[in-house]
Amino acid sequence: MTNQQRSRRRFLRGTGVLLALPLLNCMLPRSVRAAETASPRRMLLISNNLGVLPKPFFPAGTGRDYELSPYLKPMAEFRNDFTVFSGLSHPGVTGGHSTENCFLTGARGPTKSGFRNQISLDQYAAEKLGLVTRFPTLNLGVNIDKANRSLAWTRDGVLLPAEDSAPALFRKMFVQGDAEAVQKQLKKLEERGSILDALRDETQQFSRSLGREDKNRLDQYLTSVREIEERLQTARQWEQRPRPTTTQTPPADVQDHKLFFEKFDLMLSMAQLALESDSTRIVTLMVDAFATPAFRLGENENTTTDYHNLSHHGQADEKVKQLEEADRRQMTLLTKLLQNLAGRPAGTERLLDSTMILFGSNMGDSNTHDNTNLPILLAGGGFRHGQHLAFQRDQNTPLCNLFVTMLQNLGLETDAFASSTATLSEITR
Amino acid sequence: MIRALCAGTFLNAALTVLLSANAQEPPASAALQLKHACVECHNPETTEGGLDLTVLTFDLSDRAIRDRWTRIHDRIRNGEMPPQADQLPRDARDALVQSFQKAIHSADLADIQSHGRGPLRRLNRDEYEQNLRDVLRLPQLDIRDLLPEDREGHRYNKASESLDMSRVQLAAYLDAADTALRQALVVTPTPPVVTRFRAVATNLFPERSTFGEREAMFFAKDNKFVDGKILEELKDDPNVELALFRSAHWPYYGYPRGFIAALPGEYRVRFSARAVLQQSNYELTPAVQPVPMTFRARKPSGPDVSGDVRATGGLIDIQPAQATYETTLRLREHETFEYSLLGLPVPLARNVDGGPPTYRYPPFPEGGQPGIAFQWLEVEGPLSADIWPPPSHRVLFDELSPEVLASRMAPVSASNADRIRIPTADTFRLISPVELAEANRLLRRFVSHAAREPVPEDALQTFEQLIRKRLDANDTLSDAILAGYQAFLASSHFLYLREPVHADDQYAIASRLSHFLTNTRPDDTLMELARTSRLSHSETLKTETDRLISGAGFERFVQNFTDYWLSLRHVRRDDPDVRLYPEYRFDDYLVESMEMETRAFVTSLIRNNLPARSLVDADFAFVNDRLARHYNLPNAADIHGSAIRQVTLPAESPYGGLLTQAAILKVTANGTSTSPVIRGAWIMERIIGQPPPPPPASVPAVEPDIRGATTIRELLSLHTNSESCAECHARFDPVGLALENFDILGTWRTQYRGIEQGQRINGIDRAGHDFTYTLTEPVDAAGQLPDGRPFRNIHDLKTILAGNPRQLARNLLHQLTLYATGTPVRFADRAELESILDACAPTDYRVRDLLQALVQSPIFRGQDRSHD
Repeated sequence: MTNQQRSRRRFLRGTGVLLALPLLNCMLPRSVRAAETASPRRMLLISNNLGVLPKPFFPAGTGRDYELSPYLKPMAEFRNDFTVFSGLSHPGVTGGHSTENCFLTGARGPTKSGFRNQISLDQYAAEKLGLVTRFPTLNLGVNIDKANRSLAWTRDGVLLPAEDSAPALFRKMFVQGDAEAVQKQLKKLEERGSILDALRDETQQFSRSLGREDKNRLDQYLTSVREIEERLQTARQWEQRPRPTTTQTPPADVQDHKLFFEKFDLMLSMAQLALESDSTRIVTLMVDAFATPAFRLGENENTTTDYHNLSHHGQADEKVKQLEEADRRQMTLLTKLLQNLAGRPAGTERLLDSTMILFGSNMGDSNTHDNTNLPILLAGGGFRHGQHLAFQRDQNTPLCNLFVTMLQNLGLETDAFASSTATLSEITR
Repeated sequence: MIRALCAGTFLNAALTVLLSANAQEPPASAALQLKHACVECHNPETTEGGLDLTVLTFDLSDRAIRDRWTRIHDRIRNGEMPPQADQLPRDARDALVQSFQKAIHSADLADIQSHGRGPLRRLNRDEYEQNLRDVLRLPQLDIRDLLPEDREGHRYNKASESLDMSRVQLAAYLDAADTALRQALVVTPTPPVVTRFRAVATNLFPERSTFGEREAMFFAKDNKFVDGKILEELKDDPNVELALFRSAHWPYYGYPRGFIAALPGEYRVRFSARAVLQQSNYELTPAVQPVPMTFRARKPSGPDVSGDVRATGGLIDIQPAQATYETTLRLREHETFEYSLLGLPVPLARNVDGGPPTYRYPPFPEGGQPGIAFQWLEVEGPLSADIWPPPSHRVLFDELSPEVLASRMAPVSASNADRIRIPTADTFRLISPVELAEANRLLRRFVSHAAREPVPEDALQTFEQLIRKRLDANDTLSDAILAGYQAFLASSHFLYLREPVHADDQYAIASRLSHFLTNTRPDDTLMELARTSRLSHSETLKTETDRLISGAGFERFVQNFTDYWLSLRHVRRDDPDVRLYPEYRFDDYLVESMEMETRAFVTSLIRNNLPARSLVDADFAFVNDRLARHYNLPNAADIHGSAIRQVTLPAESPYGGLLTQAAILKVTANGTSTSPVIRGAWIMERIIGQPPPPPPASVPAVEPDIRGATTIRELLSLHTNSESCAECHARFDPVGLALENFDILGTWRTQYRGIEQGQRINGIDRAGHDFTYTLTEPVDAAGQLPDGRPFRNIHDLKTILAGNPRQLARNLLHQLTLYATGTPVRFADRAELESILDACAPTDYRVRDLLQALVQSPIFRGQDRSHD
């Protein structure tokens, strides 16, 4: 074992005790202040872009007395802390793998010419929630093709790149600069403010001389200027507050894409750290199985082919067996995450009760490029869990209905998101 | 124009619209043909393929609808629709296609004339870095990784519609510009102190003992092994040599003792070495062939892998005769460099019971173990410019030296009556009008140097105001000016390329040409031609295109174009599965050589103006020593050294042309197995230009059942039993089948390999690892193209594909059009491209001619715009 492996394992074993500093209420928008007295709601949104095998995932029975499916068995101890859904999908979001960028946006027709994505659930929630944490959201990835895939998309439908380096995330969240570094950063933020003013003026002038399509491109630029400006003020305030501390040692990264589960595990720990330390309340995690080469499955054995190829198993036993094993390993990692969150107090409840964990995929069945009947599991967040909520398999219910319910759980006043038609009151108390 | 049509009159209304929308008056039969041949399937009840012709209007001014009709046009033209040919007789089909063609062409052309062919394009991160390198005169500037990776569009990092802007992207541009400017600026009155380091052989390894046992490395004197105990006494002996035999891959990371780069920059390395052979008694004899090596920059570390190493200084072939070599390395702060012997295996290290590693070696090669013996090494750096302050500083501050700037950083004496008093928080900041004028002069000087076309006065004033504001905020003069520069380098003027609005739009044409062929801003010559309006002369434009193609910057075109067109950036993506392919274990040199080959090939296609058929069929290849062995060339033993050179292939060689290049065969495999489906689809899309349509929509699901298939053939036939799969797979699988004779890295094979069944092959690989695999089914590379033409093997297939050079040329033009303009070929471009093909036909569609013709066309130079 190399030093790096050792230090990574140490990191994953670590107790993760964190001294999250109390929020300075005066810094927060008035609307959020009241909510601060109760434990704030958080969410972690995970998608594996090749999904799971549907058969061992979906339970046979429905309702509260359903029997746990093979994949859900390891989670038995949390039976009343999650709900498994069937018969959900995004209407109009078809086209095989191209739907992967729409999992949190619900934007229709990703293969149509001139398609443009829409705002994703996490960005929408962050917009509404305001800048209450150091990072409005964190967007993580496992083996991710950062240039082309993401769960997070802006209102203009522009990709927000994922972060896939654990050390970089750790630095961002916990490494505190000295007084001089802080002053330097404050100065830089102030300077940036005046530069942005100039950029806005200059671009508006430039835009006047241009045609329709060019103007549309520059609108993205102007939006970007505005969004950075909006964040500058709070960035300045956060800069003056010390970062939370942690007893965790900085993690070593996993860069070898073959070590898929190690990386997944590591990024889940980073998500957990982010939520525990209240660095952010919204985390996305895209597990880019599509970009994952043949990966380590046995002790010293790789899968016989890359993940995508495996997913087109054509019922071949050998492939199905490997996929099942890969799926189970992921369910085990999720179980571990639930255990960790259940063991952490948050106010008067468990961190699990204040954290919604969505695990799902844009693929209902990768073998056939099916984008309906998506595997969806929601844990935590204080919902009325312990059910298999089954909707019609031949006429799915919009997944965005669940998203609206989650937004409401975050404390946001909203009754619609993307293709939603209603909320899922079945899980609210 | 009617868009929403009432129910009940769908069809007739749609057809009426079809007719009336068309100013060129298509034959009335077109509508009738459509009704007879297509509506049976494409109606409100069936909506085959999601198409209902009764509600699809013919409003061709609407981009989405025009795209729809373009697809309909293409499928009818290609004979794919209607599925039964007799449903639409030949004459009727031609007439229909022609009437659609005319209508779509004129609608698309009208759109281009009023709104342009494509929108502004943001610079991608490679272009941005190169622009800044050129503007700031910092050829080594390294800021690419500060910017997010660019999204791919139509396979390239050049598509306008995919090069979006977000807050993350813009903030990254600001950070990158800031970093670059800080590197351009110098603050010391004299160049940094140059470190000089010299080491004799005993100091060329972290410790004075052997590692990995003597076969991997040892110290020698008079060609004989020297024991570690004696080495201390011989530590200054110039006659001791460090002999390295293995790749410097883990755990052999020899680097010089006591050298570390105190400052980032370029370092000149001179060293003395010779290629040797190790004999079994640890004696050295002269080598017969050169041994290639490279240096790899890295952080010094303990006995563990440093994940972050990168080759620098290029490949160096060490000759058998002792000689002095020199190269330049780029090092970051606190880095050192290791010696990496290319193409030599890594011995197997085993940690028994967690103990120290033990090593195992393959049988000793006949004649001896090749390696390199080093005598001494010198490092000098960081290298500075010949003048001080360096050119980068002068770009920013003209003749203002660091001392002068420093003197202006402090608040100045208040006694001067003509100074403006500006109160700030804790002091009084005094700015003289002279200083302000100086700041404005510098800004205008910088902008006119950095901009790719004249910047309007109002924009200049905006940046001037910014500098003034920064001075008011008590910034130093240089900080305030740099803020102005930073703003300009992140401004929309700098970040976006505009398309030429007419054939005489000099600056836009210059920028388009330079970003196309050199991935950066126009050089001084191009800028001067644009300024003096000479670039619109066809002859001048042609000469300039030739000049850029011949220049050094063209390497960047080749690199980026092949990175995307041929996926070369993925060439290191999948490590070969060493259970099946033990011979490829850690063979980085092979992979590096294949990459060089394909880039050399594409360079030659253009520079040497080769006919388009060479893309698939050529009697030559570009190889070095490693590739010559890989391709099993008869004269491989005579091909020495790492340099890539052109060789003529024997007639029976299956190699030659892109299809069979090792790099292409690697990026189309997954490190473990090959798939005719994937290779076939890849070739059809990238080389032939007939991309397979996307897999069928999921509902109703077509679920292939591949249980029971044992051979690739059976697998394929099961896979394509279903008619809806077979129809498309027949278009691309066959091409892939012909490539089944090539393994995951392109070695010729006649049998597949497996792990369990078949004839067992055992051995010890070149790195000392035991291996065992099996030889299984024989390869069958025969097949049949969709038009019925059969082929027995790759030779036949190449002949067939080379027989349609127009399609190869057409595809290349399509690839280049997108790459050069950021917008894929539009319908209205097609006629122009066909006329280019007509013009290039008599000379066999030569690649450089095609490129030149594209540059001269209105697609590249811009259409006159009517209005917007």
